[in-house]
Amino acid sequence: MKQSSISKYGLGLILTLGLLSASPAAQAEDSVTVNISIKDHRFQPAELQAPAGKPIVIVVKNLDSTPAEFESNMLRVEKVVTGGGTITLRIRPLDPGRYRFFDDFHQETQGYLVVK
Amino acid sequence: MRIDLFARKLSVAALFSTATFFGASAQPPSNTYGASAADVFHEAESKYMFGFIDGADIGNEGEKAVEYEATGSFQKRGGRYSAIEHEFAFEHVLTQNFSYELSAHVLTHSISGVEDLDDRNSTQFSGLSSKLRYLILGRGPSSPIGLTVSAEPELSRIDGTDGARTQAYASTFKLVADSELITNRLYAALNLIYEPEAAKPADTGMWERSSSAGLGAGLTYRITPTFAMGVAAEYDRAYDGLTFQTFNGHALFVGPTLQINFSRKVLLAAAFMAQVAGHAVDDPRPLDLTNFEQYRANLKLEFEF
Repeated sequence: MKQSSISKYGLGLILTLGLLSASPAAQAEDSVTVNISIKDHRFQPAELQAPAGKPIVIVVKNLDSTPAEFESNMLRVEKVVTGGGTITLRIRPLDPGRYRFFDDFHQETQGYLVVK
Repeated sequence: MRIDLFARKLSVAALFSTATFFGASAQPPSNTYGASAADVFHEAESKYMFGFIDGADIGNEGEKAVEYEATGSFQKRGGRYSAIEHEFAFEHVLTQNFSYELSAHVLTHSISGVEDLDDRNSTQFSGLSSKLRYLILGRGPSSPIGLTVSAEPELSRIDGTDGARTQAYASTFKLVADSELITNRLYAALNLIYEPEAAKPADTGMWERSSSAGLGAGLTYRITPTFAMGVAAEYDRAYDGLTFQTFNGHALFVGPTLQINFSRKVLLAAAFMAQVAGHAVDDPRPLDLTNFEQYRANLKLEFEF
């Protein structure tokens, strides 16, 4: 009896947290898309602009032949993009500010998302 | 009462002296939060920065890691006491706000001549647990404070204190807040901890319910971009009953912490704490070595992939 009620509470907690954190479909409706490339281990452009308060979709195209990892502790995302490949990252609505991102495989490769 | 006051003074003094030592002056994050291109100190993850105290960061969406964590409890009243929990975990950051961890536990006990405990030398598989973290508020341009709640349900077949067979269900719930007192250099964290447990020891066959409440604080300074050191304090209270029915004792722990990032993907964190004040109910001797240990140590190794 005790084990059953503990399992129910655990399942309830997982479902609640999952629902709280899952809303990509709703976010996609009103999102803004920005594009960026990686060429010769440099982000082009090195600075992206996006409006505050709207979900942001970042499309990263790797024009180099070697893989890169788009990562940002401030945007809270990381994803590998293969040589010649493209990835899409969905970012929550952000407040105004400068958000740094970088290539985790080439630490000197970095850029900023400027949200206004 | 005297111990309560002493504990409060000591924890405040420890945090204050560390802040003074590192030249801390609280600075609200600017709107251009984050390091400039020329600055070698970029933003760092605070999750393991404070040793036994949690940081509010949960990692980046898509991050996966395997972890090994050893937590040791050393010295009780008399004799020789050592209990080390080895935890092997898989961690996945599922979304920008939610992560989970699945763990298996092994317990090693070495007990000899300790008051009220049977002698034992054993290493046993002890159970399974998970840790769910939800980031309510991330540090950034809009907030100088990070805020996370976590739940860590655990199923155990071995008692963590004496190593005897049991059937136990427990969970650690934490409210975690942290902040950068100096952007990308000096970090502070606060934890509010509640840990209820229901256990049925094999020798009695009777259900026993207990709980503990804790308040933890940590302060960490990044000396280099990959090396951080700090100090942490934790005050714990032990009770019978799931909701603090009968007070059994309390203890204050203080100790140093460190974190080394060997690379972007490999991290080591270590912490040590000593009980500096405490008292068990019905025991006139100083320190609470009935409900708590005298020393605790923690080592974490994380390999991200």
